[in-house]
Amino acid sequence: MSNAYIDQFPAEAKVVKALFYSSFVALALGGVFGIIQTLHRTDIYRFIDSANYYSVLTAHGVFMVITFTIFFLVGVFTWAVTTSLDREVEDIRFTWAWVALMSIGTVMAAVPILAGLTDSIDMSAAVLFTFYAPLQGHPLFYLGLVLFVVGTWVAGADWFRSWWAWKKENPDARIPLPTFMVLTTMIMWYIATMGVATSILVFLLPWSLGWIETVNPLLTRTLFWFFGHPVVYFWLMPAYMMWYVMLPKFSGGKLFSDPLARVGFVLFLLLSTPVGIHHQYLDPGISEGFKFIAMTNTMFLLLPSLLTAFTVVASMEHGARQRGGTGYFGWLKALPWRDPVFAGMALAGLLFAAAGFSGMVNAGMNINYLVHNSLWVVGHFHLTVGTAVALTFMAVSYWFIPQVTGKELWNRSVALVQVVLWFIGMTFMTNSMHRAGLIGMPRRTAEPQYEGFEFETAVGSVGELDAQIALGGVLLTLSLVLFFANIIGTAFGSRSDTLPDNGYAEALSGSDDAPRVLDNLKLWTAIAIVLVIFAYSLPLLSIVDRGGLFGPDIPPLPVSLESVTFLAFAVEHVATVALESAGNFAQTALSGVIN
Amino acid sequence: MNIHSYEKLWLIAALLLIVGFIATITYGSVGLGIAMIDDSEDTVNPGSLDEDFGEPRVEHVGENEYEAYVIAQTFTYRPDPIEVPADSEVTFYVTSRDVIHSFSVVGTNVNTMVIPGEVSSMTVEFDDPGEYGIVCNEYCGDFHHTMEGQLHVVPEDEFDMTELSVEADDEVELGDEATFNVSVENGMLDDLETTASFEIGDETVEEEITVAGESTEETTFTVDSSDLGEGDHDWTITVDDYEESGTLTVVDELEEENDGGNNDE
Amino acid sequence: MGQATEESEQLQEIGHDEYDPVGTLALIGLYFLILVFLWLFVYFVEFLGNDPTVIGTMLIGGIA
Repeated sequence: MSNAYIDQFPAEAKVVKALFYSSFVALALGGVFGIIQTLHRTDIYRFIDSANYYSVLTAHGVFMVITFTIFFLVGVFTWAVTTSLDREVEDIRFTWAWVALMSIGTVMAAVPILAGLTDSIDMSAAVLFTFYAPLQGHPLFYLGLVLFVVGTWVAGADWFRSWWAWKKENPDARIPLPTFMVLTTMIMWYIATMGVATSILVFLLPWSLGWIETVNPLLTRTLFWFFGHPVVYFWLMPAYMMWYVMLPKFSGGKLFSDPLARVGFVLFLLLSTPVGIHHQYLDPGISEGFKFIAMTNTMFLLLPSLLTAFTVVASMEHGARQRGGTGYFGWLKALPWRDPVFAGMALAGLLFAAAGFSGMVNAGMNINYLVHNSLWVVGHFHLTVGTAVALTFMAVSYWFIPQVTGKELWNRSVALVQVVLWFIGMTFMTNSMHRAGLIGMPRRTAEPQYEGFEFETAVGSVGELDAQIALGGVLLTLSLVLFFANIIGTAFGSRSDTLPDNGYAEALSGSDDAPRVLDNLKLWTAIAIVLVIFAYSLPLLSIVDRGGLFGPDIPPLPVSLESVTFLAFAVEHVATVALESAGNFAQTALSGVIN
Repeated sequence: MNIHSYEKLWLIAALLLIVGFIATITYGSVGLGIAMIDDSEDTVNPGSLDEDFGEPRVEHVGENEYEAYVIAQTFTYRPDPIEVPADSEVTFYVTSRDVIHSFSVVGTNVNTMVIPGEVSSMTVEFDDPGEYGIVCNEYCGDFHHTMEGQLHVVPEDEFDMTELSVEADDEVELGDEATFNVSVENGMLDDLETTASFEIGDETVEEEITVAGESTEETTFTVDSSDLGEGDHDWTITVDDYEESGTLTVVDELEEENDGGNNDE
Repeated sequence: MGQATEESEQLQEIGHDEYDPVGTLALIGLYFLILVFLWLFVYFVEFLGNDPTVIGTMLIGGIA
């Protein structure tokens, strides 16, 4: 009898497995759209209409960075909380409820996105991941996003419930590191999603239903980025968690420092949100001073990542030395490179180091004139969310999937080839994207081939850059095929009794070394909120003062039309009926009480 | 909390890196004078840009100083091409009529978001002549990829802001006089001294004209149709590099309903 | 096929006090140098060499 997660927490393992499989469905869809757009924009092979490219792009973005990453990470978080607190969730029905909410939200948002690809349904949400007004998507898209986010809020509540219950039984104990990471990440998420919730509920949704005439494009855009930067840390924090609590174990060592891991997560909680304006360095209507403040905050946000780099590498080195590694660099050879879980995570970390550099450039205020909205940015986030996060998630799946299914991994060699292919594919794709960005090639464009001018390269040629991007895309697609072969092969395998035990890495310098104040979540929450108020209240007031709460008189530019009026009518109708029946019910109840 | 001395060292190095980055950017701003797009411009109403912002245009506002008023809209830029002289300082004012666009001059650091209701202003020095492409790098709708424009920085001695227009008779009765009203607009601040020349048949008339800065000068050429005779006569009016031409028809007797025509081409 | 993660082939136990991450220091020192070099290159060569650049109306000239 093994002691895997499914043996310890059979009910939770089912939830986590469902979440992982949902995320993989999104990954598969996202991958299909990814290769279509790669071949399209590089003009290697075009079989869709360029006008439909933007629906494909929206689908690729939303499925990858919202559905795949977030479904996977809520699964990891559920595992982390139950495992590290060593207790079941408080109420499994509550847990399934938020899974259902997130799933319904996803489907609602996906319908108009996919409908945009066919002319037979007059729905579309080709507004891209950023849905900047006055471009207007179908209301179902906004409603779906709202439900999805609410689902994640409820998920967070689930984990807080577990922690509160655990704390009653263990009043003096330190919060176990994985739970600490989950809680700090979720607090950051609650703060960050206020921006997008306000943007959608107060402005975009009523506007898409025709209830309000106009919105202030700069305001909704700023509210989006209030959420848009911390969301990248929402994807990244679970990957960091894997690097801190799992990678040392796979390396054969221990976590170098538990206290510094906590410091890192506290810094992310404090600094992830008051930086969103760095996505708006080139926006008119925001003063240079506010932009400078956002830059300073952003630069200091490098600190926890740079600290993570040291702590994680030192933990790996600890493993390597315990395995007999020696020398300044020779220890690297002692690491278990043939293990797909380790290799995938380590290679993801290596490309993340490269992403660190392009991120530093993105953070620089005036240098954004060079890189803003160019393919450089796309190269950057394919290294961060596309590799640091996605490759870590895929690699660690080779450990998690056996844990939650109770089945052995189908094929380790295929898994190893898969992670290495991803690494090579991303290397081709992202180095060329960065270089293309430096010569001014724009992102988010179906056909970056223009009539009036040509891009000039100092080294190489545009054709060579396109070829590298397309080759990268093909390798990544191949890698995905191998990944799904392994997941499906494993799912159809039989139960095994020889799985490794569930668990995570111990620490060399443990939580006893960490000052207790680090666990004071109320304090950090308060400081985080104060920082957000400092960074955002004046810019937001100034934007509202300039352009008005609902903006100037600009007609919306809907990407789809007719069904909107119908939906507006339906929502109103349902609301009226609900109110009436509530009224009737109250009346009946009241008369029942009186009589 | 005990932190390993190596990690302390790295902490210090990381802080130095961060401070170094901020210092570089600050040097760019203060030392080199690289300014950010900011909130210095008043907002405009995208629905009434004609009053708030005026026509898309280039204006000469000082010695070697120009202002370009650019409107971005799905899926074009106006004016297109934007023409400015080399060795000049140009301030771009860019706004949008509909959705969010960008105004990005490829191969340069001239790059801004264009948000409806807001005006992006950027001052740029162009030392050398050259032709640049302008692209929209913010998704703006189904044909976003076709949104491009041109920026021509022309050699200083080839640059002017002269506009020539001619109002001429199309048809006159034999024996009547045909008139050609020429107006020369000078958009520059300096006076324009030039020659207007008029050619019809074998005849050439030249007239020296001086157009004051930011104003328009008009002159009239006349020709006696008897000298030309019945039939079609091609004419050309030239001012510097600008040319207007047309055909004058001299007829024996004008038809009743014909008002003589007053089209300029 | 075995499990995804092989049991670590641990040869020795290294405790907290006897471990100095000298290899990490070497690697991260290298990373530091690469970062500094790339930053200088991208800022001063790629960015400032990509002129014209947006300048303030107050400060004229001086851009490389």
